[in-house]
Amino acid sequence: MQNSKASWKLLVLAGVLPILVLATINLSLGDDFESETFKRFGNALLTSYIIMGTLLLGNLFFYANSRHRPAAPFVGMIVAIGIGLSLGWVLISYDDLLLEANGSLRAQALSNIVHFLVIATAMLLGSILAIGATFAAITGRPRRVLFREEE
Amino acid sequence: MDWLPDAAIWFWVPLCLIPLGGWITISGKSRKRGLLLSSLGLILVMASSWTVPESDSSASGHLLLTILGPSLLLVYGLYGMVFGGNVPVGRLDDSSRWSGFVAVLASLAIFSAMHWANYTPIWRGQVNPYWLVFFPTFLLFSTSITSLASIALVGYGNERSSEATKMAMLSVTLSGIALSAMLFDGSSTSAEEFRGHFWMTVADLLGTVIGIIFAITAFAVVIWMYERNLAQPKSSPPPTEKEIKHVVELSEKHIGGEE
Repeated sequence: MQNSKASWKLLVLAGVLPILVLATINLSLGDDFESETFKRFGNALLTSYIIMGTLLLGNLFFYANSRHRPAAPFVGMIVAIGIGLSLGWVLISYDDLLLEANGSLRAQALSNIVHFLVIATAMLLGSILAIGATFAAITGRPRRVLFREEE
Repeated sequence: MDWLPDAAIWFWVPLCLIPLGGWITISGKSRKRGLLLSSLGLILVMASSWTVPESDSSASGHLLLTILGPSLLLVYGLYGMVFGGNVPVGRLDDSSRWSGFVAVLASLAIFSAMHWANYTPIWRGQVNPYWLVFFPTFLLFSTSITSLASIALVGYGNERSSEATKMAMLSVTLSGIALSAMLFDGSSTSAEEFRGHFWMTVADLLGTVIGIIFAITAFAVVIWMYERNLAQPKSSPPPTEKEIKHVVELSEKHIGGEE
């Protein structure tokens, strides 16, 4: 590998900086964030953790078919997802810490799943645009001559 | 609440079919069946605005159906741009690069028109609530990832500054669209409303990314703990005299030559 000029910290900063700039502009326009924002953050975190954990558990189950399907990792993942589910249940039920404009725990859970579907679609489409544009930029350059034949 | 069983049959079961099809595909048992199952699930979810219009969740299916056209145009455009360039295999003709570029621009223009012109997805006589989740998330996430790609090209690539500049320009363009939505009213959404949704989007994005990182970390920890607790594989016994003699014989047969 070549001497890289970018560290992972710089990459994280490059990813976060545009969001910070837009957030600063939004703040300067005089719109404070509401308390609902924290609820949304908590719900998004727990939902994505549980759904991603479930997807990984499914991968483990289907992919491990040829590996005698050991039970221990399944139990471990089920416990990990169970912790997320319990935490979500407690935070939504107890004192409505994460309950948004939904009437019940079930309505909130279903709303969170649908919300995740939309967010995941937006993120997928954004990733396709960014990755596709990167490759389009790379393949757009004329082919470079690496070696010249000896005369 | 008579529609609840219908919602389960026409929305939630098809939604579950999407990952199930994906799992069957990766298991390698029947790739075609897996893809078919996922596609069927996706189509039924998108059709849920007709099959179960009473359910609030169907608004997400309606949104997916509405953005299908510009999304496919975006994918088609990017495909043309990538494979119309210098690729070693499967190269398309040069015109596909330009047509792809036009398709990507048209796709972004349609997404913008869905906000500013009269093409906003309408659900039950109002703006589809999930459009106000999708559009800012798409803009914010694309801006962030293109900026990251720009720095990665400069940092890890060799003489990639011109490509990095193009990616930075794309990031700035997408930021410009987001900024315009913050400043100028759309056809059905005011700038103030959009700015309010912006905070929700930031919360959604951060929460989702952190949640996914936590899930992957938990998965890695579970696998690591399982591997660590496995018994050490038994060492094979040393070769016997007979085996050594056989190896020496074979070696002498193949190694020869005179000094």
